[in-house]
Amino acid sequence: MADTDVDVSTEGTNAVGDEPADEPSHVTEETTVHEEAQLERTIGLVGGLAIGIGTMIGAGIFVFPGLAAGNAGPAATLSFGIGGAIALLVALPASELATAMPRSGGGYYFISRSMGTGYGAVVGLGLWMGLVFASAFYLVGLGHYATAVLAEVGVTLSLDPVIPLALLFAVALTALSIAGTENTTKIQNVVVIVLLVILTAFLSYGSLDALGVFGRESAPGTLFSQGYFPVLQTAALVFTSYLGFAQVATVAGDIKEPSRNLPLAMVGSVLIVTVFYVVTIFVATSAFGADRLESFGETAMVEVARDFLGLPGAVAILVAGLLATFSSANASILSASRTVYALSRDALIPRRASDINLRYGTPHIALLAAGGPIAVLVATGQVELLAEVASFLHLVMYALICVALLALRRRDPDWYDPSFEMPGVPVLPATGALASAALIVFMQPASIVVGVLVMAVSYGWARYYADDVQLKGDF
Amino acid sequence: MTDTNSTERPTVLVPVRVLDGDGIPDGVPELLGNAHVVVLGYHVVPDQTAPGQARLQFEDRATDRLAEFATMFEAAGATVETELVFTHEKQQTIDRQIRDHACHAVLVANATRPPERVLVAVRGTIGSSRIARVVAGLFADTDAAVTLYHLAADDESDTDAETMLGAVRDRLVDRGMDEDAIALEIGREDGPRAAIADAATSYDVVVMGESEPSLATFVFGMAADDVAEQFLGPVVVVQRDP
Repeated sequence: MADTDVDVSTEGTNAVGDEPADEPSHVTEETTVHEEAQLERTIGLVGGLAIGIGTMIGAGIFVFPGLAAGNAGPAATLSFGIGGAIALLVALPASELATAMPRSGGGYYFISRSMGTGYGAVVGLGLWMGLVFASAFYLVGLGHYATAVLAEVGVTLSLDPVIPLALLFAVALTALSIAGTENTTKIQNVVVIVLLVILTAFLSYGSLDALGVFGRESAPGTLFSQGYFPVLQTAALVFTSYLGFAQVATVAGDIKEPSRNLPLAMVGSVLIVTVFYVVTIFVATSAFGADRLESFGETAMVEVARDFLGLPGAVAILVAGLLATFSSANASILSASRTVYALSRDALIPRRASDINLRYGTPHIALLAAGGPIAVLVATGQVELLAEVASFLHLVMYALICVALLALRRRDPDWYDPSFEMPGVPVLPATGALASAALIVFMQPASIVVGVLVMAVSYGWARYYADDVQLKGDF
Repeated sequence: MTDTNSTERPTVLVPVRVLDGDGIPDGVPELLGNAHVVVLGYHVVPDQTAPGQARLQFEDRATDRLAEFATMFEAAGATVETELVFTHEKQQTIDRQIRDHACHAVLVANATRPPERVLVAVRGTIGSSRIARVVAGLFADTDAAVTLYHLAADDESDTDAETMLGAVRDRLVDRGMDEDAIALEIGREDGPRAAIADAATSYDVVVMGESEPSLATFVFGMAADDVAEQFLGPVVVVQRDP
């Protein structure tokens, strides 16, 4: 059992006189050890993979195929491939940092401890907001699927029910996470396994069909029907499908055998979803051609399934879509709440934000700090904007994770002792940082403006509220 | 391990819900006066909550309560260690503490009067040396009367069962117990759990071995918990050799 000493000391007080909470004395494979108390690690490899895959798979397969195919043509497959490659370039350094610092807060924790309070606050508050935007995006997707279900059973409404339904889910999900006592981790595991089974069956059939095994004509289409540039733009848009792996690191403090399970869960979930995404887009564009696919919008996959397997196929994908978008939204709300906890632990926001209520034992303020803004954003209904802002804020963090790794490897402080060391330093992390930053350039101007605004407000808040707080480890 | 510290106190884990539980039931500190007691104060948080979050809010209160519990056991003569753990999974935490502290037994704490009659359920030769180690450690210096109880299988003769129980009695005597204080009893009913709980109605404390990890115990909970539920007194669950 490798005991890792945690030798990062924090100091200073914020505007209301709170200090960052004490750091643990050391970390074992089974616990985080503080002077007076131990924190049990209870999430295994399957649980870690379920968090990563469960967060990611909702968007890439069930929301984006129609939009992506419309933007990039059949080459949207390549867009997802590019997204996966960049995600992998970040998952590797994130894994190394996580094994050196297996504490709750993920990317925020690595960056605040290696680059200081200012960067930490921008990333931490940005991550909180990034998860809020992502969650709102997943919930709008969920609204589309719920609407498709209503349409399927023949209910017609005078107004478009997508946003009202999404709002309803936002409120229900927040309430459930505050008052729910059921075993959410185990439910998440089951949901992810059911999803993967449905998808594997569906995609296997679809691939065989696309390759002509069943003797049907697949829809013709030029690979780069929209040109090369939209492929990169689309990669930026659909990058929201790859935001989940870092959420594994936000619960790093709960992961058993972190030195083994954190890298496996992060890199593994990226590899698994990339394969699923690429095959999905390939199957979908082969079946229908990019233009028709686009006309089906967010629930395009339902029509693909109907084309292959009739009504049962459509029902299976509807159910899978509901499950997937719900689990993505749920996982993101919980990660956002963990991020709020990490920020308040470090005195960057008021300590009260992570208070636990005595009735349910849940952090109601942190959960409301996620659920409230999510509901507001859902009401805007701007799918592409929500997705891109979420990606923007995450990409900033990803670029800085790569930079943090380079800085730590260069200075090599005593306390930095990762059990997983990524290959290809400095080339791969440098590429990861540049690629993350480059992807931002291909976003819509509106998304960039909103993202920069969030960062600026975060930085301003940190200067006002926590200017004296020192979080950086000794170098 | 059993041999090198055989004269020392047996290590007994006492898990307590440190914040919302009822504390240490009456009579339990006296029961463990001859033991080395590891008081495990645990607090279970839901999945939505980080254990560290609960620590920030409850550590001080939990530490105070744990210190009170420790004082109670020390006053009764035990040597004491305390552990405070915030967790999502109670059983995982208890199992880890059993391993980390090499505990000989775990106490399912229920109220008791000063122990006069102790029922020791012996399943077979396997594991009986650890049972003897714990029973002698806890009760050798006391006036408690010990009954060794064995639930015989259909094809097991009384002679076989008596020989087996006699061997356990000899171990207890070797470890300093008074032979006259030890009685042997052989049961022949259906269903070990019901039988143990039934026989236990006239006793103050039950000592029993850990049940095998099987699908049944996984689904229905540990047999010891069932016994404790029907018995209403404290149950000392002796752990298998690590």
